[in-house]
Formats: sequence, C-alpha cells, structure tokens
Amino acid sequence: MVKPDWIGYALGAGALAAGLLAVTSRRILRAAIYLLFSLLALAGLYFWMQLEFMAAVQIIIYVGGIVVLILFSIFLTHQTDELLPLAGTVQRFGAALVVLSGGIGIFWLLRAVPPSRPDAAAPSVHEIGKALLSIEDTGMALPFEAITLLLLAAMVGCIVLALKDRTTPS
Amino acid sequence: MTLKQYFRNIWDGMRSLAAGMRRTGYYFFHHKEIITQEYPDVPPRLAERFRGEVVMPHNENNEHRCTGCTACELACPNGTIKIITKYEITPDGKKKKALDKFIYHLELCTMCNLCIIACPTDAIKMSQAFEHSVFDRSQLIKILNKPGSRLMEGVE
Amino acid sequence: MISLEFILQSVDRWLRDRLGHEVAVAVEYVLVGLFVILFFAVLGLVLVFMERKVSAWMQVRLGPNRVGPGGTLQTLADTIKLVSKEGLTPAGADRFLFNLAPVLMIVVSMLLLAPIAFARNVQLWDINIGVLYVSAISSVSVLAVLIAGWSSNNKYSLLGAMRSGAQIVSYELSAGLSVLTIVVLSGSLQVSQIIEAQQTGWWLFRGHVPVLVAMIIYLIAVTAETNRAPFDLAEAESELTAGFHTEYSGMRFALFFLAEYANVFVASAIGAILFLGGWMPLHLGNWDAFNRIMDWIPSSIWFFAKTFFFIFVIMWFRWTFPRLRIDQLLELEWKYLLPLGIVNLLVATTIAVAGWYF
Repeated sequence: MVKPDWIGYALGAGALAAGLLAVTSRRILRAAIYLLFSLLALAGLYFWMQLEFMAAVQIIIYVGGIVVLILFSIFLTHQTDELLPLAGTVQRFGAALVVLSGGIGIFWLLRAVPPSRPDAAAPSVHEIGKALLSIEDTGMALPFEAITLLLLAAMVGCIVLALKDRTTPS
Repeated sequence: MTLKQYFRNIWDGMRSLAAGMRRTGYYFFHHKEIITQEYPDVPPRLAERFRGEVVMPHNENNEHRCTGCTACELACPNGTIKIITKYEITPDGKKKKALDKFIYHLELCTMCNLCIIACPTDAIKMSQAFEHSVFDRSQLIKILNKPGSRLMEGVE
Repeated sequence: MISLEFILQSVDRWLRDRLGHEVAVAVEYVLVGLFVILFFAVLGLVLVFMERKVSAWMQVRLGPNRVGPGGTLQTLADTIKLVSKEGLTPAGADRFLFNLAPVLMIVVSMLLLAPIAFARNVQLWDINIGVLYVSAISSVSVLAVLIAGWSSNNKYSLLGAMRSGAQIVSYELSAGLSVLTIVVLSGSLQVSQIIEAQQTGWWLFRGHVPVLVAMIIYLIAVTAETNRAPFDLAEAESELTAGFHTEYSGMRFALFFLAEYANVFVASAIGAILFLGGWMPLHLGNWDAFNRIMDWIPSSIWFFAKTFFFIFVIMWFRWTFPRLRIDQLLELEWKYLLPLGIVNLLVATTIAVAGWYF
C-alpha cells in the first residue's frame, strides 16, 4: 500500500482548519458540520495509519452518534437564521491562553518523546477482541466493564426520564 | 402484553405481510391480467355508460327529431345549450315554430345527461366520442343540427 | 477462461509494462474512480427502469413502454431532463449546506462500494474490517439527510429529516446485529474471508433458523435505512410533499435520487455477500458433477444475480406494503426487531461455538 506522507499532513491540516472554522462560525449548525469534517479528517488519519478498526469506530461513535445527537438538539432548540453572539474579551483571551498552552504542551511532549512508527502491523480484529476481555496485565477487561456500567446507568436514566410523564398526570 | 400475545403478534404480522406479497407476486408473473389500455395504438374499450358529448342524430333524409321546444335548454344547469327558433310556413299556410340552430357549448358541458332526460322527443343523445382537443376554444361551440336539415315527419 | 479477474489482471500488466509501477498505480486509481462514477450512472438507469417495471407489473399496469425498445430508454430521457433542469435554491436557505448535502450523500454511497466483491478476486479494497467499514460509512448518510432538511429552510424538509434521523439511528442497530450473526459464524469481518467461509454452502442453508431470522431482520432494517417504502416517512409524499428533498430540483435532486438506488444496491450486495455467499457458486455437498456445472457459470453473474434478487425483494416490499406511522415504526424496531435480533445473535453464537452448523 502506497501511503505518502503528504496525505497525512493534508488530513491533519484539514482537521485543524475544520476545527478552527467550527469555533469561529457564528451559525450553530455550520459549526456542527465543521466539527463533523474535523472528525472525519481524524478518521481519515487513522485510515492513513492503517488503524482501520480505530477509524471505523471513530466514524460510528463520533460521526454516526455524537454529531447526529448534536444536530438533533440544534434542530429542536434553534431558529434557522439565528446568529450566535460574539465571544467577549475575557472569553477570547482565555481561549487563546488555553490553546497556546496546549500547543506548547504538545510541542514539548513531541520533543521529549519523538514520534516513531511502530514496526508491527496494526492489531487484527481478533487481537482487539481478545484484548478487550483479557484480564492479564495489558488486558482491557476492567475499563471495558466500567464502560458497560456507565452505559447501563445511562440507559436506566433514559427509562426513568421516559417514565416520568406517566406518574405525573398533566 | 403477555409473551404469548407477543409471539402471536409476530406470527400474525408475518402471515398477513406474506399474504400481501403473494398477491403482488402473483400479479408480477401474470401479465395477461394487465388492465392498461394502450390507447392511441389500440382503440380504447369504453364503458357502456361513458358520455363523451351531446349529438343530434339525423336520418338519411337529413331529418332530425328536434322540435325546438327548449326543454333541454331549460334543463341544462350551466347554460351549455342555446336554441334559436324560426317560424316556418307549412304547406297549408300556417305559421309553425321550428328549430333554426341548436348551439351546443362543449367547453361548458359537464356531461350530466339532464338534457337527454328532459327531451320529450328523443332528439338528442350522448355519444362516446372523447377526442375533443382543439387549438382554439371557439371550435368547441358546435351547431348540432346539420345545415338544411328539417324536422322528421310525425314528430310533434 | 475469460473472467473479470483475468481482464483486470491483463489491464494491470499492460499498464505496468508501459508506465512503470508508480505511474501505473496512479493511472489505476483514476480508472477506478471513473469506473465507480460510470457504474453509478448505469446503476441508476437500470434500477430506476427496473423499479418502474416491477411496480407496474405488480399493480397490473404496463409501465414505461414508449421510449426505445420496450421503454428501456425512458430513464435515460428522464436523466437528460433532470440534468437540463434549473437547480433552484430557496430564499433563506443556507447555500453552503444546501449544496453540500447531495454531494455528501453521493460520496457516502460511492465509498460504500469499496469493500464489495464483484467477482472472484475482484474487489476495490479488501479492507480487513469489511462489514464494520460498511456500517460505519453508512451512518454518515443520515447526516446528509439532516443537513438537507435543515438547510432547505422548509418545515416539511425539517420534519422529514427529523423522522429520517430517528429512523436510521434506530434501524442501524438491527442491521448491525444481523450482520454480527454472520460475522460470528464466519469468524471474520473481512468480506473476502466471509465469502471464503461459504465455500461449502451459503450461510442461509448452513446456519439453520438463526441465519434465516437474521436475513429477514437485515432486509427489514436496510429497507428502513435506505428510506424506502414502507419506511419512507422521511419523504412521505402524502404528508410532507417530498420530505427532506422537497426543495431540491434538477441535478441536486438527481443526486439524491441516484444515492437512494445506489444505497439499495449496496445494501443488497452486502446482503448477498453475507447470506448468499457473494460470488460463490451454489455448491451441494458431494455432487461433484453438479458443483462443476455451477462453477462453470462466471462468478460475477452469480454475484449480480443474488444482488438483484435482493433488490427485487426490496422493491417487492415497496409496492406491497402501506407506510408505517412513526410510532409503529419505532415500536417495530425497539419492541420486536431489536429483542429478537439479540436473542437470535445469542443462539447463533451458541451454534458457532458448538460447531453445529453444517
């Protein structure tokens, strides 16, 4: 498989540009769509790195789940032609500070730990499946179970919310 | 909902859907039952009761049965028919009212059949001609009695 | 023997001899892109014609029969009409998103074509997560519908998009569960390995009742995911004029239209690969003579025959069943298909672990 470096750089730049547009756009739905493109570019990066499982999961969860959820909540709460208010000075400086410190942090990290390409091929689906339920040192059984608990709690919460209407007659 | 009912629902649903699919599947493979009429190529099969326009039949001597009584004009709900009468001198020297022009506005007609019912002498009837498209509306105003035609003997 | 694989290999060798490795690969990328676009155009023409004929025959009519022999050129004439029409953008619409939605829709459909095996060893991209890739990418198409509905600035479009969103997000689960049934039995996500696992017989025949149930659930779920009747609430013409694509006209409408049929094709092709063995010919146990005759039929014909069988079944659904109400739609998914799918998956897993399939 030919995978020149420039594709990776282009995808990274695309993700950054879409992210920048997402935070600067004043139309809320467009911001959500730019976020979608940023997430898609990240998935593309995973594909470029031949981490196909990761990329597919990124698309299913973030694009198919989170962005759809965001769009739904925008649909239910906003008017089409409403512009978002501009951010205040404090917010702007705060955001710039956070971005700058984050950037410096990542730069410092990259210098301290230079990135390297792993020689081994990306793990197969079999290995991922086994690792998810393995209870050995590198196993992921504990986080996996923790996530299932979290999801169970969320589902119970949903049912409780849905039931509320019936107990209180209006 | 009991568990039995739940599975009963699934079973009934599947069965009724399969019944529907069997019907459409049957039609899909039986092309002989097709009801489409390929009209310009094949003359259409019209229903017996189909009404296309009002016509006035004439016999071979160019005689019609209309006395010009205007019963149809009065019966028409939207002024489709206009009858112009004239006075004819009969051979024995009497003046007699007769039909001059039977003007029929096809563009106004709703094919309600009331004029045909009203006619006391059965002078007009409905035909099945339906290809009425013309390029000018004025062409739809028709004079039903043929030029030079006269009342049939014996019709009063 | 001339097969699709042989033709492609000769083209590849010819290009490599003339141009060298790097350029040949680049040229092949371009050729594949052109192939996908051409394939979509032909697919649109064929499937729209097929749909009109099937619907006509099921409703005791004749269907298109004027343009060209037997009406075959009717869809071409319609396409020319659509392309030459004016593409309107309604006042107050978000121009950028309004133009983006149909393009996103069609690009998603094109991406879905990648892991489909058209014949023996003919596949655009034999990605190792095959069917997971398909369910991932197909979840993006709901976004195109949502964007189209919002940016049209029209209440019908918005309502259609909301319905479509709820519908696709729900039915994705059932489709995923029925795909998982086959993944469990085959032990792989990769399309080529799933087909290889059906060497001795298609899963439909080998996997007992669970595979049959999974196939029915899959067909219902993909009919819903492609927004086709009886699940076409997103574009219910009697209530919402045309739902999310009410405001679209001309070429942009044509893209939505094409994407619908492309999605039907992809869904049917995946179904054929999972349940009927893709390009794998029909093999019956030890009947060597019979098996050899079946092998003699080209693999691409097997693939397309199975795919078009599923397409026909989905069209059959559309022209038989009345549209569901939104609450019935969600009830069907959450109260019937999903629990049944989960139980079915458990049974299939038991069968796979115990090795009870043939």
